[in-house]
Amino acid sequence: MRVLAYELRRLRGLRSTWLLLAAVLVGDAAVAAVLASQTPSGPLAAPAGVRLLTAAVPLIPLPFAALGTGVLGALSYGHEVRHPGLPASQVAYPRRVRLLLAKLLVVGPVAALLALATLLLDTVAVHLALPAGVTVAARAEPGALSARVSEALGGAGLSGLDDLPGAFAPVALVAGHGVPAALLAFVLLTVVAAWTGVLTASLTRSAAAGVLLLCALPPLLESGVALLLRRTGRPWPGRAAELLPFQSGIEWAYGWVYGGTRGAAAGGAALTDPALLAAVAAPAALLLLAALLVQARRRAL
Amino acid sequence: MIQSTGLTKVYRKGAPPAVLDLTFDVRPGMVTALLGAEEAGKTTALRLMLELERGQGVTLFGGRTYRRLRRPEREVGVLLPGPGEGAVAVAGHPGRTARGHLRMLAAAVGVPARRADELLEQTRLAAVAGQRLRTFSPGMHRRLALAAALLGDPSTLLLDAPTEGLSPRNVEWFHSFLRSFAVAGGTVLATTRTPQEAAQLADRVITLDRGRLVADQPVTEFRRTRLSPEVAVRGPQMARLADLLVSQGAEVRRDGSVGLAVAGLDRTEIGELAYRNGILLHELADRVVEQPVPRAALPVASGRSGHLRVQHAAPSKEQSGEQPEEQPGQPSEEPRREPGRPSAPALPVVPVAAVGGARALLGATPRREEPAAPAVGVERLFRDGPGERPHPVRSGAVGRRTSAADLLTDDTVRLSRPARPALPTTPDDHRSE
Repeated sequence: MRVLAYELRRLRGLRSTWLLLAAVLVGDAAVAAVLASQTPSGPLAAPAGVRLLTAAVPLIPLPFAALGTGVLGALSYGHEVRHPGLPASQVAYPRRVRLLLAKLLVVGPVAALLALATLLLDTVAVHLALPAGVTVAARAEPGALSARVSEALGGAGLSGLDDLPGAFAPVALVAGHGVPAALLAFVLLTVVAAWTGVLTASLTRSAAAGVLLLCALPPLLESGVALLLRRTGRPWPGRAAELLPFQSGIEWAYGWVYGGTRGAAAGGAALTDPALLAAVAAPAALLLLAALLVQARRRAL
Repeated sequence: MIQSTGLTKVYRKGAPPAVLDLTFDVRPGMVTALLGAEEAGKTTALRLMLELERGQGVTLFGGRTYRRLRRPEREVGVLLPGPGEGAVAVAGHPGRTARGHLRMLAAAVGVPARRADELLEQTRLAAVAGQRLRTFSPGMHRRLALAAALLGDPSTLLLDAPTEGLSPRNVEWFHSFLRSFAVAGGTVLATTRTPQEAAQLADRVITLDRGRLVADQPVTEFRRTRLSPEVAVRGPQMARLADLLVSQGAEVRRDGSVGLAVAGLDRTEIGELAYRNGILLHELADRVVEQPVPRAALPVASGRSGHLRVQHAAPSKEQSGEQPEEQPGQPSEEPRREPGRPSAPALPVVPVAAVGGARALLGATPRREEPAAPAVGVERLFRDGPGERPHPVRSGAVGRRTSAADLLTDDTVRLSRPARPALPTTPDDHRSE
C-alpha cells in the first residue's frame, strides 16, 4: 500500500509525466485529423475508421499512445535508478519486487486511461476533420453496425444511429462492425506496451535503453518467430497467422485488428480467445519473469 | 548500537582489499566519526554495513542486520551522497519540488505528509519548499537528504561525508544538528576526511588507512595524538625570541626565513614575553599541525577493545627533510631539542585561515577574523570543557602548555563573542547558500 502511494506521488510530482501525456494526446489528435482530412470520398469502412481513430502511422513500430505509455513506464523505472529516493531501503529483495509491482500496477491503469482519452479525442478530431464527401458506413446503414451496438440500440427503440440527435454523430465512428473489439484491443496493447516499458528499463537499468528495446521488440519478435517457423519447416499455422500476422512491426501491433479479411475474423469472438490473450501477454510475462530473476542478483533497483 | 564485525571487501581478485576486517562498535548517545583519507574505504565500509555492497562481515543494528530490519527507515536513517560527486550530489530528481520530494518519500516510509513539512522546517528549507531541486545549492541538497533520512524518526543515523564540499555555515549547521541528535540519545556514524572535522564533530574517532582500522579512540585521545596546536610568530628579531622561548621551555623550530613555529607556549604568553623584552612582532597566530596518520600494519588486532596497538610512523623522515634548512651561521636560532622530548613533526601544516574546520577549531588572530567567519555553537564548546581541563600534557617539562582542546575552548569563545546571532539553532535563512 505504501509503495503504491509512493509511486502515485512520484508519478504525479514530475512535470515530465504531464508533458508526456499531453504530448501524446495532442500528437495523436493532430495525426488523426491529418489522416482524416486526406481520406478519399465515399463510404468509410470500419477498418479504415479504426486506423484513423488510433492514428496509425506506418513509420513507427507502435501506435502513438502505446509508444507514449511505454516511454512513461521506462521513465518511471529510469528515475528510480538515477534518483533513488532512499537507496538503502531497497536492499531487501521483497521490497524491490514490491516496488516493481507497484510501478506496473500504477502505470497500467494510467496507460488504459490514456488510450481511452486518445480514442475520445481522436473520435472528435476525426469527425471534425473528415471531408464532406466521406460517409461513415455505420451511420448510413444499420447493417454495418456492430452486433452489440445494434442490440443496445434496438433495446432503446431506435433503428439506427441516424435516429440519434446530431451531437452523437461521432459515435458512428466507433460503432462499426468489429470496431469496439478492435479498440479494446488497442487499449490492451497500450497497457502491455506500458508494462513492457517498465520491464525493459528494469532489465537495462536505463530509461533510454528501455525505450529503444521496447521499439525494437515488435520487429525482433516478428523476425524471431518467422525464423523459428522456417527452421521447423512448418508453414504459419492459420490460427497464429490470424492472431499474430508478423508481416511487419506495425502489423504485429494491430494488423490483426483490421485490414483485409483478417479484420472480420478478429472481431468479437477472437478477443476473448485465450490464445490471443496469451499471445499479447506473453512478451510482458516473459519480461516480468526475467526482471524478477535479475532483481534477485542485484542490490539496488 | 551498531556492531560491525569483520567487514571485508575485495573488488577484484588479486587487488588489495578496499576494506579489510573492519571491526568496531558505534554506541548510542555519541557521534562516531569514520576518519580516513580518500580511498581509505570509508564509503565502502558504510555500504557494506548496509549490505549495498557484496562482501564479508556482519553489521548488526540492535541485533539484526539491516536487511532483516522490519521497518529500516524507522530505525536507521541513511544519508548517502546522491548521484554526482561531492558538492554536486543531488538529493532527488531536479524537476521535483522539495516538498513533493519529501512527501513522496514520506509515503514510501509510511509517515503522514505532515512529517515531511515538519522536517522542512527543521532543516530550514520551509521557505524554499516549493522550489524545484535544480535550483538548490549543495548545502540545500544535503539538508534535504538529511530530512529524507530523518523521515521515519530513526534512532540511528549513518551519514557518508555529510559535510563534504559545503560552505562553513552549512558545515556548522550539520555539526550542531548531529551533536544535538547524539545528545538526545541517538547513534550517529559519519565519515569524514579531515581530522579537524573529526575532532570537532565526534566523540569517538575511528581512523582508517587503506581499508584497515588503525585507531579507535575517544576524541580527547585523538586530539592529543593527532592534532597539536602551534603558534606562528614572525618578526625581525626571531633569533633573540627563540632563545627566550626555549629558556621558557617551549619547543621552537624555524618556519621560513623570518618565522618561528612555537609549540608549548600560549599565544598570549609569547606576546607578553616579546613585549617585556622589547621584541617587535609582525605576526602571532595560532594554527593546527596535523600529525601524520599512523600507518596500518598487518595483522590488525580486533578493534572491539577500543584500544589498538598503533604503529606510529617514524618522525625521522619529516625531521631529516627539515634539518638541512637550518643555517649553521645562526646557531642561536637553532632550536635546542632536549633529549628524550618528542619533537613536533613539521608536516603537514594547516594554515588557520585556509581551512574552515581549523578556523572554527582554533580561531584566527583578530585581524584575520573576517566578518563571515563561522561562529561556533557554544554548547559544543562547553560540552567537553570541564572534562578536558586535567588534560595530560605531552611533556612534563612544559607545565603551561595547553592542549588543543583548551585552545579550542579559549579562542572560539572569544570568537563567538560578537553579537552576531551565530548559533545554528537561531532562525537564519540559508537561502543564500
